[in-house]
Amino acid sequence: MLRRLLLVEWSGLLAAIVLGSIALTFLAPNFLTEFNIYVMLRSFCVALLVGFAQMVTLGVGQMNISVGALGGLVAISLGGMLEVLGFPLVLAVPLAILIGALGGLINGVLTVRTGINGFIITLATASAFTGINLGITESIPFYNMPATLVAFGEQRFYAFPYLLIAPLIVAAVLGVFFARTVPGRQLLAFGGNPTAARLSGISSERVIVLAHVLSGTLAAIAAVLAVAQLGSAQPTIGTDWLLLSFAAPIIGGAALTGGYISVLGTMFAVVLIALIENGMVLAKVDPYWVQFLLGALILTAVWLNRWRAVRTGTD
Amino acid sequence: MSDDAIRDAPPRRRLSLGGASGQIGLLAIVIGFWVVFSSLAPGFLSTFNLFNLGRSLAVDIVIGFSQMVVLATGGMNLAVGSIGVCAVMFTGFLLQDLGLPIPAAMALALVLGTLLGWLNGMAIVKTGVNSFIITLASASLYLGAMLILTKAVPYSELPAAVGAFGRLKIGTFLSPLLVIAIVIGAALFVLYRFSTLGRQILAAGANPRAAAMSGVPVDRVIVFSHGLSGFLAACAGLMLVARLGAAVPSVGGEEWLLPSFLGPVLGGTLLSGGVVAVVGTMIGAALVTTIRSGLLVLQIGNFWLQLFLGLILLFAVFVDRYRSVYAERRSTRQR
Repeated sequence: MLRRLLLVEWSGLLAAIVLGSIALTFLAPNFLTEFNIYVMLRSFCVALLVGFAQMVTLGVGQMNISVGALGGLVAISLGGMLEVLGFPLVLAVPLAILIGALGGLINGVLTVRTGINGFIITLATASAFTGINLGITESIPFYNMPATLVAFGEQRFYAFPYLLIAPLIVAAVLGVFFARTVPGRQLLAFGGNPTAARLSGISSERVIVLAHVLSGTLAAIAAVLAVAQLGSAQPTIGTDWLLLSFAAPIIGGAALTGGYISVLGTMFAVVLIALIENGMVLAKVDPYWVQFLLGALILTAVWLNRWRAVRTGTD
Repeated sequence: MSDDAIRDAPPRRRLSLGGASGQIGLLAIVIGFWVVFSSLAPGFLSTFNLFNLGRSLAVDIVIGFSQMVVLATGGMNLAVGSIGVCAVMFTGFLLQDLGLPIPAAMALALVLGTLLGWLNGMAIVKTGVNSFIITLASASLYLGAMLILTKAVPYSELPAAVGAFGRLKIGTFLSPLLVIAIVIGAALFVLYRFSTLGRQILAAGANPRAAAMSGVPVDRVIVFSHGLSGFLAACAGLMLVARLGAAVPSVGGEEWLLPSFLGPVLGGTLLSGGVVAVVGTMIGAALVTTIRSGLLVLQIGNFWLQLFLGLILLFAVFVDRYRSVYAERRSTRQR
């Protein structure tokens, strides 16, 4: 029984979430209020998509340092299209997501065509995306967002924010994609063992590009949600995504070497992070503690994964 | 790779020829930018600008070295900026709050940097986890701890001698900081080319298993490299303290990430490990500093700088890639 529980990568996470929630309920009386749960769920939305954006590249054994930079670029593109160009929402949002996909395509094609480490490529494109973002906006946000978008970011059904609809759909789609579809399986197969995958006829170029395009798209969706949540298109959106993007999938049990990811694990990891952040706020602790704890959490998760691998003999 | 690219494999003569051209090419690009900037903006060659350029170049070089020594082992250190800023704030604390003499404070800050780097190395070796993820986590850990302890309040009342050293000039425009950076470079050059330890590091970086089989203590070498990286990051932090005359918590952090990779990668250090280019890293850093300073003098502003740096890094890795493809083709033809 213990062995089987240990095999499930998110078992520890779930335990931590339950224990943490119980502790917070007793320690902070306003933890279980409707509004507080709404606030937590709302902060969960963007973070989850950011985690997913990194998760898909980790799955294929790549990484995307430009997740945040691309998010920032998409956010201000959306803001610019809505405020300066006056595009309607139904046109601007798909275009913004397309920009994200295009950014991912650039990352993927550059990585594949040059054969250079994806880390360096995306480090460079991250700088380029941020540069375009800052060059266009000169650090000045777009404030006049359409009321529909802002309302979507604010409205709620009891404790359930409408914003949460998007990440839940994305999570379901990703779950099916990686478990049931051919490209999804190919992506993971390639991440697990590139040589074997190539020998069985999987095009390495196609899966790597696909992973980067997906990553860019997810980062773009995260950026659109962030704009809706903030009610303005800030050029600073995405600047603090890098650590989070790695923290969520890795705490959720993804292998850095590729080939193994967990949609559910990533979700639980983001819940845990949101819980910690919320606890910090309720306890009125220095916000700097979040940074510290996130680092500690990643190290713990990495260590736990090692321990589990040794214990269950899957290593 | 480059004429100082200290390689592990014996066929040095043939390969280093192609490499030297790469480094000369990089130098030519730097000179090209100097010509362009100085003709567009006469202020670029003023002693004031040259002095400032030298000071920031010194910091950029040492940041690059800090990354380079870890790249040599085939790993990477994302905590360079965090360690740097920890050393900065620790110096400020020791000088302002404890009133320690300057040499003692500096020595202790360097010890702290080395210790933080050593911790990274130990965590990597003990867990066997990728250095990327360990240093990503520790970067956040160190930065968070520093912010919790200092509450992000700068130390601005340091002894006057600190800022005075930063403003010191040798001759008309040479900063002593640049001299220190070059001395560090020379020491690293000697380490990697002439010492057993340096050769062991490169061997471990090129092929850990082969190195272990030939008796190289791979784990110890990795821990040493991370300690050295932390030491160099702390050095860069101290240089910044001297330059600013204050200990500011916003320096370092993620801001150092890109420059730390730019210098070594432009200069010909391989990400896969086993090759370092000390002089190349210095020229690479010079390119970055030149562009930054030039854009500043031309008043294009900082906003587009990021884009330029990103494009230059991309351009450099492409050139490097195609150079190695070309060299390979030529060598197969010769056979």
